[in-house]
Amino acid sequence: MAVSFQQIEEKLKTEARRLLESGEVSLVLAWGKGYDEKHPMPYVAKCPSDADGIVFNEYCTHNPARYLVRYPRGTKIAVAVKAADSRAVVQLIQEDKVKRRDLVILGIPVYGIKNPKTGELIDGKTTCGLYNPVLYDVLIGEEVHGQPVSSPYAVLAEYEAMDRDARFAFWKKELDRCIRCYACRKACPMCYCDPCFIDQRKPRWGEKSPEPAGNLMYHLTRFHHLAGRCIDCGECSRACPVDIPLYLFHKKVAKDCEEMFGQAAGMSIEDKPVLVNFRMEDSDKILE
Amino acid sequence: MLKKTTVNQLSDLASALMEKGTLVAPVREDAGFQFREITDAKRVDLNFHNTVISPKSVFFPQTEDFVRYRTGRPMQEAEPVEPQGKPLILFGVRPCDVKSFEIMDIHFSGTGDVDPYWQARREAAAIIGYAFDLGAPAEPEEFYQTLGIGAADPEGSDIFMVRRGDDLLLKSITGKGEALLTGMGGLAGASADDEKFFDDTVAAGRDFKTRFTCVDAEVITKKLEDLFHNTDFWEKASNACLSCGVCTFACPTCYCFDICDETLFQQGTRRRVWDACMFTDFTLEASGHNPRTKVYQRLRQKINHKYSYHVRKYGVISCVGCGRCTRYCPVNIDIFSIVEEAMKA
Repeated sequence: MAVSFQQIEEKLKTEARRLLESGEVSLVLAWGKGYDEKHPMPYVAKCPSDADGIVFNEYCTHNPARYLVRYPRGTKIAVAVKAADSRAVVQLIQEDKVKRRDLVILGIPVYGIKNPKTGELIDGKTTCGLYNPVLYDVLIGEEVHGQPVSSPYAVLAEYEAMDRDARFAFWKKELDRCIRCYACRKACPMCYCDPCFIDQRKPRWGEKSPEPAGNLMYHLTRFHHLAGRCIDCGECSRACPVDIPLYLFHKKVAKDCEEMFGQAAGMSIEDKPVLVNFRMEDSDKILE
Repeated sequence: MLKKTTVNQLSDLASALMEKGTLVAPVREDAGFQFREITDAKRVDLNFHNTVISPKSVFFPQTEDFVRYRTGRPMQEAEPVEPQGKPLILFGVRPCDVKSFEIMDIHFSGTGDVDPYWQARREAAAIIGYAFDLGAPAEPEEFYQTLGIGAADPEGSDIFMVRRGDDLLLKSITGKGEALLTGMGGLAGASADDEKFFDDTVAAGRDFKTRFTCVDAEVITKKLEDLFHNTDFWEKASNACLSCGVCTFACPTCYCFDICDETLFQQGTRRRVWDACMFTDFTLEASGHNPRTKVYQRLRQKINHKYSYHVRKYGVISCVGCGRCTRYCPVNIDIFSIVEEAMKA
């Protein structure tokens, strides 16, 4: 990467300060200092002096787009985004949860973000694997070119080799340890339902206790609610305290959607969400 | 009484304990260490720092059945679930987690209203504590020393273990521990040198530094009371908070639960399930009114409950500094940093 994390941080601070000083936005969503260098945290700057608190380093895994729906409609927001995060912004615009005109997108092309828990490089295995944001108003740094681009679906090979029973056994094993803390849905930029179906009492869709039936109901429904909407940032899996590889199922559904409808989630604000948009030429495979 | 064995003979020790009752001990799983009921002595593993979920789940499981019934049948046919009081040995508990049981006792048996399920398990249990490794620095999330808990405090355990090289020293702390230790074969006697090592470790544990400077509970309480209406402070503290339940579920001193009826086909169960004050529907009232709709209100409640209300009501901070909430927070919120910020505010 030609531009260092330090340079990105400086540029982010400068842009945030400028936007807050000019009054173009009332808040900037980015990352700030956590309890140590390895643990930065999502950060909101609301006045020019807050901009000094912005941090950007290799552990800034969080997706600031998650916080967009928390503010009242019409709030002018600048949001700092990495590649996958920018797709969440695009998808939220497609779904009309935020307006394009209310946003200033600070796009950060980046390579080398690491999972603080495992130290592993975050790449196409657990996220969409893109380096450059798909949409931005201000480019923070320089676009990344020449790095190996891995298919976000390559990691599915092993999973797809399993038959139906093996897949069910796999998910049963993984989901059995879920403690239903809901960190996955809360970390997800696309999970904004209020209330979430699993919290509904009448009708009750799934039980509250972390037992196999309710766990399957919660996760399988959530997986499918995110069909054609998951932008593959991988935050759900990183948020999980018991390391359930949720990204695998999301990737599988995303791949199926892309194959059937020729469109990946959150790539262009001109697109409509695939499962909302009916086109005569759409594949009937979904009905099989 | 001080006895010893070696870490290589851990499974023999576990087997001996399994003869005395149900053994619950740390085991290595895909997601890290967890306390689990042991069926295979070889699975007991002491090469852990701490477990993901605290051992509160042994006395206060995430799901606890009260009544079982068949839907559509008369109420008289419903069967209450009796509290379980079979002998239980909880092995390898870190000193901060041992301390948490004392705090939880306040709520489950200490105020006159006794929870029979908690009490039955608690009374039937022998706790075997295990000192942190003083040779390694504390993890950055931990702050038990701030709350006056040493890294090798034996208080609260029935037997306390200290590792010395490849040896494992076991000392009885209570009569219950003494009886358990006496009745166990396969343990060697300890030397005077071992005795000294044990005592030195306990003493050194009290000075073992975790990351925060010590603060007075009364001062924190007062400060948090003064800050209650400072919305700016709480909004800033909760900007990143996702309002999920990781911190609560991992916490050794969070005790809130919901009681619900769950049915699968005709089999119904009235049970309690852990709940979390960070969930939006935690305070949702039947009328539809919700007094805590905002994230900052919920985080403020959580912090105040632990460091302020609990001190006022029961005289003790409801936190043991184990650091789980910080360690597993998806957005790296550090609970004690918020308290420190509050002190400065």
